[in-house]
Amino acid sequence: MNRQEFQKFSQHGLVFAIIMIFLVLIDFQTMFATVISKILGTNVLRGGLPEVQFMVIFLVLYSLWMGWFIARKEENKSRRIIMTLVASLSAGVVVGLFGLILNSLIQSGTDVRRYLAALSPESMKLFLLNLEGLGPLALLGVFTVSGLLGSVLSIILQSPSVSKWPKTIKTGISSTWQKITGSLPPFIRKNAKFLAYLVLGIVIIVLPTRWGSYNNFVTGLVGLYIILGIGLNIIVGLSGQLVLGFAAFFAMGAYSMAILNAPLPHGLMWGFWPALLVGVLMAVVAAILLGLPMMRLRGDYLAIVTLGFGEIIRILLKSDLLSNFSGGPRGIQDIKGPTIFGFPFNNDVQFTYLIIAGVILSIFVYKRLENSRTGRAWLAIKEDAIAARATGINVQRNKLLALCIGAAFAGLAGAFFAARNQFTGPNDHTLMVSINILSIVIVGGMNSIPGIILGAFTLKGLPEILREMENYRLLVFGGLLVFMMIARPDGLWPAKRPQLEKKIKPDTRDGDSPGKGDKNE
Amino acid sequence: MNEIAIKVDQVSKIFGGLTAVNQVNLEIPQKTIYSIIGPNGAGKTTLFNCISGFYVPEKGKILYFGQEIQGLSTDLIASVGISRTYQNIRLFSNLTALENIMIGLHPKFRSNWVDAIVHSPRYLREDKETKQEAIRLLNFVGLAGYGDYLAFNLPYGVQRRLEIGRALANQPRILLLDEPTAGMNMQETQSTTEFIKKLRDDLGITIILIEHDMQVVMGISDRISVLDYGTKIAEGNAAEVQSNPKVIEAYLGPGGAALAEKFQKQRRSNVKSH
Repeated sequence: MNRQEFQKFSQHGLVFAIIMIFLVLIDFQTMFATVISKILGTNVLRGGLPEVQFMVIFLVLYSLWMGWFIARKEENKSRRIIMTLVASLSAGVVVGLFGLILNSLIQSGTDVRRYLAALSPESMKLFLLNLEGLGPLALLGVFTVSGLLGSVLSIILQSPSVSKWPKTIKTGISSTWQKITGSLPPFIRKNAKFLAYLVLGIVIIVLPTRWGSYNNFVTGLVGLYIILGIGLNIIVGLSGQLVLGFAAFFAMGAYSMAILNAPLPHGLMWGFWPALLVGVLMAVVAAILLGLPMMRLRGDYLAIVTLGFGEIIRILLKSDLLSNFSGGPRGIQDIKGPTIFGFPFNNDVQFTYLIIAGVILSIFVYKRLENSRTGRAWLAIKEDAIAARATGINVQRNKLLALCIGAAFAGLAGAFFAARNQFTGPNDHTLMVSINILSIVIVGGMNSIPGIILGAFTLKGLPEILREMENYRLLVFGGLLVFMMIARPDGLWPAKRPQLEKKIKPDTRDGDSPGKGDKNE
Repeated sequence: MNEIAIKVDQVSKIFGGLTAVNQVNLEIPQKTIYSIIGPNGAGKTTLFNCISGFYVPEKGKILYFGQEIQGLSTDLIASVGISRTYQNIRLFSNLTALENIMIGLHPKFRSNWVDAIVHSPRYLREDKETKQEAIRLLNFVGLAGYGDYLAFNLPYGVQRRLEIGRALANQPRILLLDEPTAGMNMQETQSTTEFIKKLRDDLGITIILIEHDMQVVMGISDRISVLDYGTKIAEGNAAEVQSNPKVIEAYLGPGGAALAEKFQKQRRSNVKSH
């Protein structure tokens, strides 16, 4: 190894050390250790610290990854070991020096929290593995040893016998799957799709009654965000308008429900369903009012204008000006739930059903629109507005239509949201809500319903389950988005364009019913 | 004499201080192939953009079968029956070829979003017709089997064909083709030329063509206009335009006419001496 290479690999190690230091500065390592301890079955008290072995596990995992990452592209095995030795030594030394600083800070009793809010003396001690003065040395050791192990791991993983595994497993699964499906009676095989939906339906009906109110709360939240995601997808994914103020339409629905179906401030008790209808209509009206002036804007300008619109609505709702009308910063409480044929819908189970019904309705409407004449017109506008116009599509009208339909979804979700929480206030409709919904659409995969569902689960469901990550939500968002850009630029579950040519048989009366998608031929 | 399909009457289009099209008059008879040629920057595409409604000319009128269309919105002009293709291909590149043609069919049908959600009889009928018609057009432009490819994945020549297919979906009476053979090899050029002829002869479409390939232009045009610096400098059939000194000068620069004469003489004497 010459000097240049030595420099290069010690720099690689340095990068990993710096990432680690940044993570420590925001106390990310404690969160990770907590998550690991949770996964391994040891619960950690809220606000408490995990035990030290989980910190060790986190550090080992991190440096294993480092070793693997640095070594993976080199052909020569012995060179791999040397490379990682250099890199992980340099990483270990830097992290160890950082540990020394932390240790001296702990010794001198300086309260770092004045400068770095997350860094408490306890978590600093935990990072030093509760070893105080020996901590830095231990860190150096952990980094070097597991870095080397990482390179060994990369050698094992890339050896021909092991690297075949994923493929073997895959073919094994598919062949057993085919055996299972082959052995099923023909009745089941013929109606496989229907039966799958049936099972799904039963699961959806049974699950909310079984798994407790917290899970229902999370499911409901995810469901609401699926509705919002589908609505925004009509605007962003189909018609290509980057709207950043989607929360404004959400607020329209929520506040309509609140004002029309709560004892205060107006004492209007219209009931849930009329209020829901008004909520949807108000969202559409807001979309028209916003849409008419902004139809000529595109791209960045559109994003800025709609972002402003969202904030204006929120600030108006918060302001003293409207505090008699909409409750001001305190919001509106005691919003009543729905009744169906005299049965009140009050508990979480029933609300979960209601939201699931809303999700199914949204998916249905979206699917019907997506591949219709209107949906194609939207896609054409998204792809190339000028060419769309020259093929006879009225661009402004169709863009406005997309905005209105998307807003109607948001109004629906907003009304559900307000009635479910029995409360709504300005803080439920911040810019972050709009960003969250947009992230769901982008991370999940534009124009893909499974993608949006998956996105809503990962971005809204997971943080609820992994409460520890709460403070790092933005960081995880950012990291996830960067990861997505690199690994899956089209989303977790990207959409595919329909393959129509194969399905349409020219000049047959039955052109609309293609074969039932049976791929076992 | 055929009816006049497009009449361009004293049309001017000015960008800032630049007069891109200057008082141009054209009379384009129905069911003909009418070429507009000229050096780069002569205002050919600008004239196209005026006809298809992207630009509103400052002065003058554009008549479509006697009806004024200047200043109408582009989508209205398209649905009236004027389709076009573009110099740099403008397909909906992330959609499939078949979907591109289905979008071209947009003005032919009426069903709206409510129809789509409730699957009304009108929607079902039109949806079926759309698919059948799209398949038929796909076969007509010779792209059977390409229907499920994303447009940007198609080879260049196929993309040009697809663009014409999309333009035809609207059943236009007038088709504006902006350099349809640009970037094609001899064989592709040949087949495209044949195809354009077929459009005129079989479908009775009036074709207005911008083209730089003189072999194509001279081979298929019924009539040719030459633009230079936004003004029309010549009009006539292929032979008339070729021998017009103004045209030669526009292409070869001042003194070009004399130069061309000299070359012609030289060639003739060469042929004699052989």
